[in-house]
Amino acid sequence: MIALSQKRTKRLVAIHGWSGTVLGLLLYVVLLTGAVAVFALQIGSWSASGVKSQDPLAQPIDGTLRALAAQVPAEYHDDISVFSNSAGHIVAFLHTHTKDADGEVADKGVLFELHPETHEILVQREGFAEDVFGADHWGALDDFLVALHVNLHLPDPWGLYATGVLGLLMLASAISGILIHRHLIKDLFVAPRFSSLLLNARDRHNLAGSWGLPFAVVLAFTGAFLSFALSLGLPTVSTVAFGGDQAAMIERLVGAPEAADPTPAPLANIDAMLATSAEATGSAPTGFSVHHWGRADATVLVFHRPAEGDLTVAQQVFEGASGAHLGTKPPLGTEPSVGSAVFQLMIPLHFGTFAGMLSRTVWFALGLAMCYVTLTGLQLWLQRRSDEPLWRRLARTVPIFGYGLPIAIAGSGMGFFLSLPAGSTLFWTPVGFLIAAALAIAAGLAVRNDRTLSQLYRLMLGVSLIALPLLRMAMGGAGWEALAASDNTAIVIFDLVLLLAGAGCAVAAVSRRLPGIKTERVAGRVPAE
Amino acid sequence: MMHWEWFDRRPTVVRWVLAGPVALLVAFVVMAAMPLWFPEGAAGIDHLILPLILFPAIWAAVFFYACLAENLRRASVILVGVLLANAAAAGWAVWSGV
Repeated sequence: MIALSQKRTKRLVAIHGWSGTVLGLLLYVVLLTGAVAVFALQIGSWSASGVKSQDPLAQPIDGTLRALAAQVPAEYHDDISVFSNSAGHIVAFLHTHTKDADGEVADKGVLFELHPETHEILVQREGFAEDVFGADHWGALDDFLVALHVNLHLPDPWGLYATGVLGLLMLASAISGILIHRHLIKDLFVAPRFSSLLLNARDRHNLAGSWGLPFAVVLAFTGAFLSFALSLGLPTVSTVAFGGDQAAMIERLVGAPEAADPTPAPLANIDAMLATSAEATGSAPTGFSVHHWGRADATVLVFHRPAEGDLTVAQQVFEGASGAHLGTKPPLGTEPSVGSAVFQLMIPLHFGTFAGMLSRTVWFALGLAMCYVTLTGLQLWLQRRSDEPLWRRLARTVPIFGYGLPIAIAGSGMGFFLSLPAGSTLFWTPVGFLIAAALAIAAGLAVRNDRTLSQLYRLMLGVSLIALPLLRMAMGGAGWEALAASDNTAIVIFDLVLLLAGAGCAVAAVSRRLPGIKTERVAGRVPAE
Repeated sequence: MMHWEWFDRRPTVVRWVLAGPVALLVAFVVMAAMPLWFPEGAAGIDHLILPLILFPAIWAAVFFYACLAENLRRASVILVGVLLANAAAAGWAVWSGV
């Protein structure tokens, strides 16, 4: 417990309440989509009904890449990025850095999508990175959900500013929550009281909030950093330190060599470099990039999954012309530093990617707990003001948002699968979201009885979740037997989780409330925290 | 001569202004000026990346200071002083091309 004067405690209680209330519903959108985005990679593989190959870069790729390089203008040899997408296809983006129509520095080049085993060209697109990557219909679902979390689908930089401000508000709410907790340890083990619905709700809010406080601080801090770093921090710091030259600052940060040597020189064998990198790290490469292809100053970066006991992606660097292995490169700068070490922690801590499926699952569960804390906090705040008509009307929006958002997310999945055979997922994924959201809002406006509305929402959510794996298979996706045979059992588990969650919601829709809780509306105000 | 009576009569307004726009502005200018004085570190990037990472922490420190300070006159002077000093340093760097 932290000793604070009564006036300061009162102020902190107000901060805790208002910071959660003012933008509470938007915060809930970011939190729930963030919990879902933890599994973005898995959702991508699931929506594509499994990856074609567990190790897409296993086949020799040197000859293929040289043939692709010969097909594109020489300016696109500036940078070449190779990795795999949601469907397990190899993606090679041969590009340069230029200015777009708005005068912003952007990548422009040719994207090739290749079959992982035969290297047959499946897709070829030319243009700016935003357009060529945005046209990937296999990644429509995970891209849509991640963008909803990152920028609420608002235009740049306003979307990032919005989620950044939400991150700061969450930070304020979490820190004030820690400071005002008089019995933090006791609240970790509090048994929710059943004497009234209101006290029960408050105890459950305190219980979930107490366990989630450290997680909320981490999530809010890293989220605010990720939102503001590119939209506000990079332009600001580059203005002060590099006269506004963002490209120069990025070059310093990523550690590009300062001395350029444009003398023509053939690139050494890429397969040999990938093999050396795999031997050095003990794991298969997940991707690589070639900087200045065909020049004496060419460098090759090979990326691997984090090594055992490590948190971040390992990068091996090679001299392109000779193929000499130069060693491990930190993500930022050319040698280890405090800045690079701290920066490396941001994404693993935000998305829980540091210990495979276990950490992702824990992060997902804690993310859902934070959603619960946000919504129950909002409900408690509104119930304390239920005498006032404005707050009473606002209270109606909580269940509409609370149930409507997961229903809409499931709707985006249904839109994706239904449009997959026609190849129009980029259009129908967001439209599916909007249709489901509209249905949920219409139900919220039409059904006046809270209990009936809650049951209807649970039924809608349950049916939507059950429909997802069925639609995936009905629209041409692989069945469980085929998935298991191709080492895609994670997709089967994903299907089963959705079916079980859907069945759980459907059962909850027809079940009665917990016995023993008095369900009458409690008059008057909720006792102070 | 500073007219503190205006401050003293409107503590809630002053606190809202300090914790709201002033806290955001102070965090912004401190981040902007940090590359000028923060050590570069072994890789020469610490003064560029750590201001970006510390931005939410700077904001939180300023926000809670503004919310919890009992002496609003002192808090106003300190925050406006930090704001002006960092804004001047960052402005000088941009203007002179340092």
